[in-house]
Amino acid sequence: MMPSPIIRLTLRGVLARKFRILLTILAVVSGVAFVSGAFILTDSVKGAINNLFVELRGEVDLEIRTKIAFGDSARAERDPVEVSLMKDIAALDGVRLVEANLLRQATIIKPDGEPLKTSGPAFGISWNGPDGLDGRTLLEGVIPTKAGEVAIDKTSAKRAGYALGDKVTVVGPTGKGEFTLVGLTGTGSTSGGGGASVCAFDPVTANEFLGADNKADSIYVGITPGAPRSDVQRAIEKVIPADYEVITGEQSAKETAGAINKIIDIFGKVLLGFAAISLFVSAFLIFNTFAIIVSQRMRELALLRAVGASTQQIRQMIIGEGLVVGIIATALGLLGGLGVAKGITFAFNAAGAAFPAADLLISSRTIILSIVIGIGVTLAAAIVPAIRAGRIPPVAAMRPELGFSALQRSKRLIVGIATLVAGIALFSIGLFIQPGGTIGTLGLSVVGSVMLFLGVASLSTTVAAPVSRVISRILPFPLRPMTNSVPGRLASRNAQRTPRRTASTASALMVGLALVSMVSVVASSVKKSFTDQLKASVTADFFVTNLSFQGLPVAFGERLAELPELGSVSPFRATRALINGEEKEIGAVKPEMGDLVDIDIQKGSIDSLADGAILLHKDPAHDLNVDVGDTIDITWQNGKTSTLTVGGIYADSSVVRNWLIGIDTLAEVSSAPPVDFFIGAKIADGVSIEDARAAVDKVAADFPSAEVQDQAEFQKSQEDQLNQLLAIVYGLLIFAIFIAILGIANTMALSVFERTREFGLLRAVGMSRRHLKRSVRWEAIIVSVFGATLGIIVGIPLGIAVSISLPDSFVTATVIPYSTIVTILIASIVVGIFAAIFPARRAAKLDVLEAIATN
Amino acid sequence: MTDVSTVAAAGAINASKIYGKDDSEVRALDDVTVDFALGQFTAIMGPSGSGKSTLMHCLAGLDALTSGRVLIGDTDLAQLDDKQLTSLRREKVGFIFQAYNLIPTLSALENITLPMDLGGVKPDQEWLDTVIDKMNLRNRLSHRPSELSGGQQQRVAVARALASRPQIIFADEPTGNLDSKTGAEILAFMKHAVTDLHQTIVMVTHDPVAAAYADRVIFLADGKVVDEVNNPTSELVLDRMKRLGS
Repeated sequence: MMPSPIIRLTLRGVLARKFRILLTILAVVSGVAFVSGAFILTDSVKGAINNLFVELRGEVDLEIRTKIAFGDSARAERDPVEVSLMKDIAALDGVRLVEANLLRQATIIKPDGEPLKTSGPAFGISWNGPDGLDGRTLLEGVIPTKAGEVAIDKTSAKRAGYALGDKVTVVGPTGKGEFTLVGLTGTGSTSGGGGASVCAFDPVTANEFLGADNKADSIYVGITPGAPRSDVQRAIEKVIPADYEVITGEQSAKETAGAINKIIDIFGKVLLGFAAISLFVSAFLIFNTFAIIVSQRMRELALLRAVGASTQQIRQMIIGEGLVVGIIATALGLLGGLGVAKGITFAFNAAGAAFPAADLLISSRTIILSIVIGIGVTLAAAIVPAIRAGRIPPVAAMRPELGFSALQRSKRLIVGIATLVAGIALFSIGLFIQPGGTIGTLGLSVVGSVMLFLGVASLSTTVAAPVSRVISRILPFPLRPMTNSVPGRLASRNAQRTPRRTASTASALMVGLALVSMVSVVASSVKKSFTDQLKASVTADFFVTNLSFQGLPVAFGERLAELPELGSVSPFRATRALINGEEKEIGAVKPEMGDLVDIDIQKGSIDSLADGAILLHKDPAHDLNVDVGDTIDITWQNGKTSTLTVGGIYADSSVVRNWLIGIDTLAEVSSAPPVDFFIGAKIADGVSIEDARAAVDKVAADFPSAEVQDQAEFQKSQEDQLNQLLAIVYGLLIFAIFIAILGIANTMALSVFERTREFGLLRAVGMSRRHLKRSVRWEAIIVSVFGATLGIIVGIPLGIAVSISLPDSFVTATVIPYSTIVTILIASIVVGIFAAIFPARRAAKLDVLEAIATN
Repeated sequence: MTDVSTVAAAGAINASKIYGKDDSEVRALDDVTVDFALGQFTAIMGPSGSGKSTLMHCLAGLDALTSGRVLIGDTDLAQLDDKQLTSLRREKVGFIFQAYNLIPTLSALENITLPMDLGGVKPDQEWLDTVIDKMNLRNRLSHRPSELSGGQQQRVAVARALASRPQIIFADEPTGNLDSKTGAEILAFMKHAVTDLHQTIVMVTHDPVAAAYADRVIFLADGKVVDEVNNPTSELVLDRMKRLGS
């Protein structure tokens, strides 16, 4: 059976246009690679993390811990358990081994005195050795058995540059300690701690150095082989206090892994978001390529129609070409996804993450979604060109001018305006009315902005010609208007003569740059609001934070408070509580915080914190309808309840959040090990800033993970964090912009191909190769400046809308970053130059005689 | 003297075609009535803008008339929708154009059988062999159009038009892009198709030499049939053309 002629024509059509289609494929590939990479990475890492926790759990059959009243089990701050319980449990039938599980912050100090930076947390643990219950293995040396000995995970020891027998400094909750490195540990099958650094001590040393005060996070129980676990579990339940619970090792592993999986899922979703943007931009490229190919093949398509191909068959052929592109791109994209996943894993490992060695998992979900997305996007983009191709009348085989009218028929203006208006409406509803909470807001604003982009892309056709004319008049190349020279005039006219092509090429760039402008407006606004707030509210002279997000050992703050060089000193701690049925974050500070941060007290006084009062922001005060002197019922996470009197109402929650209690109150209601998120300090009267700084730095020398900053440094570090986040966002958007550049290059290459004869003619009548190149390059610049202009026009209002919609506690000022706008415009010129390199070279290489002979 | 067959392969009755509106109105065809007999080679001649191409496009169902009727066999084209017109072109009509005749991505043989492949019809192998041999293409069948000379390409186009054994073949300046020697060769092939293979061809041309290959020449001017010559010679045609021009 011979293949159908349409299939044959389709395949031959793709083969004959290999290069043109290659760029199209590349665009789809990058999108699909992003999508599948995100899935592969999250699946693999989640699988590995789950394994890791199962391995870590080792032979723990049961775990005893305190109950919590509400909230996420894995993230909960539990009260510790009494180690004395272990005796009673060990005596039970069927219990083989009982261990205290103790895990605290402990930072390894490198030989050069700097703390070892890890991508995960820095832990100190109590360890009974590889024969104990947990899954830690001893890779080298011996287990630590007495005071002054430590075992470190092999990866961290290697990164810090320590070998067995070395003296190692570790900073724990009680301060600095010096230990001899006696053993190197691993976790399950890996030599690291899954991104964390782990210092293991014998139980007695751990209790002392980690400041556990004969308490533990939980108790691990191993069961005698053959004893039924449920019986043992019931027996334990009888001897433990009512606020304790017993869970299985599997459940405990699942909970811990689940918390990390959630973070990985968020990471995966962010990647998917950017993948969607890349795919959206690729759709423009695909659409444009197919539209141009269709118009270039008009005579061929008309000939097919003339010799008897039906409208349907022509459409099938173009759709079929889309299908081929989609299939190839999806297959390559899946491979690319493996690369993306490998690349990210590699980057993270290089940063010390020590991802457990795991095979990359390509689940059937990944494959199916990649196929649906890759082929779906390509087909969706090829549909309109295919429909148009079907409209080419057969008579166009002899009279091409009749074909063009068929290609240009369209109700573009009406559809464009309708899409744009609907997009703006959805976007605004999503942002300002916010139906359906976060998901509703996000969904509506994403759908709204997609429609908005499509609407603008469609309408831009109408303005492409006049705007191109204006751009070519305004841009001075090199020193005089472009239109003063022949290449400039040609470039300008060429950009104007196919407004549809110019517009859709520019639109791809518009999407990327609109997002960049939007993000930059929001970011500048956030930054401005943030600095304004910091300037207005922070009165502390020093801020101490931790390099990692684990917080500071409380010993540091206590020592700072004793310094005579300092006046007011207060830590900031945080906990969770249930108020009026909702989970809230509660800050805990000393009354001295009033001297360090101006929280804009409206009523009452911050000093009331010392008497066990609660302070709250005016918004929740309004919502709960409470005033100073009223009481609020609070349930803490460990199940304790308190009724606290409102001691004050404040208006600025930018530093301290919405609820404040005294640290003494916190200590009364929660025995979870406290950590300080930051410490604020003011210089004592009459002490110079230099002396104060020296005193603080001296204490800080014992806590190398602490970072001491004065006001300016603190503000700068906060801004730096924001800038780092921005850099990542811009970095990911670069992919979309890169695809848009491919799009411009592709369109220019297709145009050059189409104008072969024309270029031949120009060369024949005396245009130099350089001028020809220049004309191609300038046309690309006009297109990309047009795209950038559209992007800015669309992106800035979007950014302003987002800024306005953000809550006042987050953004108070809306800033338009003019310097970024100028940068984008200049960058778009560079983009045009880059995109034109290949097409311009190709145009200049044309042989004059051959070019003229081309039909 | 050849017998003029009374059975018409195609014809136009009171055919008019008007482009544009009001002031810019152009009457490309003005009440043309003409018949093309089966088994005859007819040439349509006329100066530029005389309506000869429009007449052919309308006859072939590529373009629609403003008023009047076009018949292929006894089918009235005005009654057909796009789908039916497509299958009519595939089954009853063959085309030979001046250039861009072939699909560049298909081999010569694939180009020849394209209309039948599109319709899902198996070609009549015996007839196909006859046509291929008649057009002297036997050892060029696997070549792509870019590997063929202009004359060879046009022979493939003639073979394609013949392959489905259509009721009528329309040729639009088939030699316009060829040198005179190759042109003569193609015209001879077309003539053979009519005399030996009993096909019907209608050819638009402005070349008196080409027209001389036809059994009958129809002259158009300003959208009207103004003259007709049977068994023409190139001198005779040239003479008539000169008279039309003056």
